[in-house]
Amino acid sequence: EDADRVNSADVAVVEQRRRILEEWNAWRAVTEEEVAEERDIMGLPMDPVEELIRIKTEQLALDDTEEKVIE
Amino acid sequence: MRPVLLAGHERALTQIKYNYDGDLIFSTAKDQHICAWFAHNGERLGTYHGHQGAIWTVDVDPTSTILASGSADNTIRLWDIKTGKCLKTWEFPTAVKRVEFNEDATKLLGVTEKRMGHLGSIVVLDVKVDVEAEQNDEKVLTIVCDESKATVAGWSYLSKYIIAGHEDGSISQYDAKTGDLLYNFSIHELNQPIVDIQWSKDRTYFITASKDKTAKLVSAKDLEVLKTYVADTPLNSATITNKKDFVILGGGQAAMDVTRTSARQGKFEARFYHKIFEDEIGRVRGHFGPLNTVAADPTGKGYASGGEDGYVRVHQFDKGYYDFLYEVERERQNKQA
Repeated sequence: EDADRVNSADVAVVEQRRRILEEWNAWRAVTEEEVAEERDIMGLPMDPVEELIRIKTEQLALDDTEEKVIE
Repeated sequence: MRPVLLAGHERALTQIKYNYDGDLIFSTAKDQHICAWFAHNGERLGTYHGHQGAIWTVDVDPTSTILASGSADNTIRLWDIKTGKCLKTWEFPTAVKRVEFNEDATKLLGVTEKRMGHLGSIVVLDVKVDVEAEQNDEKVLTIVCDESKATVAGWSYLSKYIIAGHEDGSISQYDAKTGDLLYNFSIHELNQPIVDIQWSKDRTYFITASKDKTAKLVSAKDLEVLKTYVADTPLNSATITNKKDFVILGGGQAAMDVTRTSARQGKFEARFYHKIFEDEIGRVRGHFGPLNTVAADPTGKGYASGGEDGYVRVHQFDKGYYDFLYEVERERQNKQA
């Protein structure tokens, strides 16, 4: 009987956690979708940092070729 | 989780920041220089000299080109990371307690201290991530905090909002373009200051740390409190880990502030909580004084803490950390696989 009681308490805890995890994931999904939409409307890149790094890498590559020309 | 000890500061640490790639760490302290370190081995990359007072805050742009810092010498400075050269100095009437770049590093905010004759404020500056460029002198926006001074502030996703944490335990959401106050909510105990705000990777939510011994996860869009993490000591800092759903809290009371003697006086440990389930799952000891700042490596490989003891401790996560999963998390992973 005791074992059963412990067992059902465990089940309740797991159920609770499952619910909390589902709520979180649902909130994340909605938020990510909203932000993606806003970025799209504003004409902003989906990942602002990736975009900055891409530009910097291009710039560095450009600088390199310019140096070669001087040589 | 064997830590690397970075001994380059002579005074208490104030803030630690990783760069976007997680390979560099920048630290500020009450001594008057900023340090840059390699995250993997703790070697010092360089120091940045020029401030004439305690440095309270530092931030690095996403491309690791320039550094911003704020100090008790009433200035914000911009630095060339590679050469260590000071590129720009902005002067204010009071100390600068927090600086932060927005998501594309076109703007920088600074939180200025309240002092006799000066209200605390949040200022916004235009910046160019270019070490050759002429930086703009003018403030593009000033938000005056006449209710309760702002202690910390940052930029939300899309640079849409400026979020501030206040001395009275409340948080504010301002329109980042106009500076209009949109919301102010008391989320921590009244008059227990919020001392840190750090963002999730996409800046849609953030974590606060308060002297009321709790940290809270808050949605940037509507300032809804999503989660609460309860500690047993006043907090100084809180950070959100990537890859794993954890948060790390740092705090502790200096021995001289502890009125009642307890078995674990001080409690100078970094505390790990599960971000979603709010449970404490572990602690990491090491510092000899309160943890003033904690920062998570954005690539999820480790974290760093800075103490009142003047040390930075950098930890790389081990297998046990990555393997740790709640049953319901594993269940979900299996379902997705």
